[in-house]
Amino acid sequence: MLAFLARRIIIAIPTVILISIFVFSLQHLLPGDPILVMAGEERDPDVIAALREKYRFNDPIPMQYLAWAGNALQGDLGISLRTQQPVLELIGEKLPVTIQLAVMALIIAILIGIPAGVLSAYKKGTWIDWVANIIALSGLSVPNFWLGIMLILLVSVKLGWLPASGYMPLTEDPLQSIRVMIMPAFVLGTAIAATLMRHTRSAMLSVLKSDYVRTARAKGLKERVVLIKHALRNALVPVVTVITLLFGELLAGAVLTEQIFTIPGFGKLVVDAVFNRDYAVVQGIVLCTGIAFIFMNILADAAYRILNPRMSQ
Amino acid sequence: MTESQPLLDVSGLSIRVAGANRPLVDDVSFTLNSGETLCIVGESGCGKSLTALALMGLLDGTPLRIEGGTAMFQETDLLSASQSTLRSLRGDRIAMIFQEPMTSLNPALRIGDQIAEAVREHRGVSHEAGRARALEMLERVRIPAAESRLDEYPHQLSGGMRQRVMIAMALANDPALLIADEPTTALDVTIQAQILDLMRNLGRETGAAQIMITHDLGVVAEMADKVAVMYAGRIVEAGSTEQIFDDPQHPYTLGLMSSMPSLSGKSQRLVTIPGTVPSPQDMPIGCRFAARCPFADAACDAPPPLVDLNDGHRVACWHAPIENAGIAPGWKETA
Ligand SMILES: Nc1ncnc2c1ncn2[C@@H]1O[C@H](COP(=O)(O)OP(=O)(O)O)[C@@H](O)[C@H]1O
Ligand code: SF4
Ligand SMILES: [Mg+2]
Repeated sequence: MLAFLARRIIIAIPTVILISIFVFSLQHLLPGDPILVMAGEERDPDVIAALREKYRFNDPIPMQYLAWAGNALQGDLGISLRTQQPVLELIGEKLPVTIQLAVMALIIAILIGIPAGVLSAYKKGTWIDWVANIIALSGLSVPNFWLGIMLILLVSVKLGWLPASGYMPLTEDPLQSIRVMIMPAFVLGTAIAATLMRHTRSAMLSVLKSDYVRTARAKGLKERVVLIKHALRNALVPVVTVITLLFGELLAGAVLTEQIFTIPGFGKLVVDAVFNRDYAVVQGIVLCTGIAFIFMNILADAAYRILNPRMSQ
Repeated sequence: MTESQPLLDVSGLSIRVAGANRPLVDDVSFTLNSGETLCIVGESGCGKSLTALALMGLLDGTPLRIEGGTAMFQETDLLSASQSTLRSLRGDRIAMIFQEPMTSLNPALRIGDQIAEAVREHRGVSHEAGRARALEMLERVRIPAAESRLDEYPHQLSGGMRQRVMIAMALANDPALLIADEPTTALDVTIQAQILDLMRNLGRETGAAQIMITHDLGVVAEMADKVAVMYAGRIVEAGSTEQIFDDPQHPYTLGLMSSMPSLSGKSQRLVTIPGTVPSPQDMPIGCRFAARCPFADAACDAPPPLVDLNDGHRVACWHAPIENAGIAPGWKETA
């Protein structure tokens, strides 16, 4: 497994380089001269010249890239034009918020989607299956923002159980942090839960017909053991792949959900950076997201191998 | 014939798809004593597997319903027992191995765990004891380097080795009855012989009674003490191996015999019975073999009862004993 992880990380390096080239070219592809934006209203030629020198805009483009990548490797992703904060610091501030939201949403989705999928496959054709499918279908068709607003109205405004917005760092007050985040995570998790439920159900249906499940029953194992140890374990193999594919949806959904619940996360950072042409921040965000995707894929492959011993040889 | 209670006494077993007009398995009866091997033989689709699965209580979750009959196994009626009773018997007193060794083991679990799991479930032993028993069983089914196999996965083993693992798993709790549903059909000829050998020896060693399901009379000749010949869901002839091989009485059994190269004499040519098995929808009310039977006449429009000709040799044919029918069967030879 360690050798596998090492191999996967080495294979990922060219991908990271490609992403970084793309991110670097953003600066040149996007309309507008970033130096002019940086120089401010006066456009003092001396300042512009100094900035061009500082950011090596006079060098050939490959040299510029190398300089930029060298800085990035050392954690210097530039300075936000808007807040004058280092980009890495900004991202380091906002990313944990979004990660917490995404992870909580994924946990909620897994806790709802997988048991519901197992149950509806096991009880195929009964009312339990019907109810699970109808709920899943509504989970898929109800837009996130609508569900979010309805929940705020019901749970926060009417019942006053949970705050409608805000954020508390996990490190400061874990309980309160989870309390604040649970409703947005639920909103973000429902669509994912529905997708997971559908995939778990169909994977379980085919696994339950398999010969080895019949063998497990022929051994006299309890139904619970047959379902979880013998059937679900195999059904999870395709479901894990689906979870990886859902990661993009999860991030995109997080951006939207953060807007609804006014959570100061990555999503807000993205929106602010794009609207303010804060190039360095946009670059940093794209780079971090790309690397996060690669990381998630490696994790999913590792899980896939653990579940599927045929892959491990 | 023993006077004592048989180990398994199946009587009148019928299985039907919910809503179908004819049962798929119709009034099947047989008995089996401790240590005996019964071969159930018949063409594909005649209901052999359904019979076995019904005895195991493994028809739940399918559209198939047990419609009648009893199957007394050591004081328990397998056909009416609760799932929890059946579960405590399955894999313990009654074990089963299946036709497809390639798909019958769980691809995600280690061989040793899959065997030990059955032992732990029924004996409540520790992890170590389960593993020790698994190793012992792998050695008994003559898997080379058994110790190192314990932690391997099914895909690392050949089909023959996987079937050995299935046998080890089935016998791990010393069952009184082992049901083997075409255990060698999916294997190469040389491996088939090895597996049959192994099963015969283990049967002798453990004293487990066996129900061996096959469509191959060669397997029957190798293994059986008793034979039941099935056709289209019914037993058409049953008796001791000598009775069936030396004095076959049902026209279908005669047909099967002449389709067996080693028994039909000189040539390697296979003789096949013309015609096909009627489909469940247009199953005749009378003898189900009538459409293919050279002896068929008006009498055969009524279902022939399974009657005892002599000393446990049972035949379901209006014209048995066939010697009295006075017509030579006209089986055609095919290349
Ligand atoms: N789950 C099922 N639903 C409906 N029909 C079935 C099912 N399983 C088997 N059958 C039918 O029952 C008959 C007997 O099947 P089976 O016992 O598997 O035959 P075999 O003697 O080859 O083992 C076949 O005609 C088959 O099509
Ligand atoms: S009862 Fe009639 S049709 Fe059936 S096997 Fe006997 S002779 Fe043939
Ligand atoms: Mg079969």
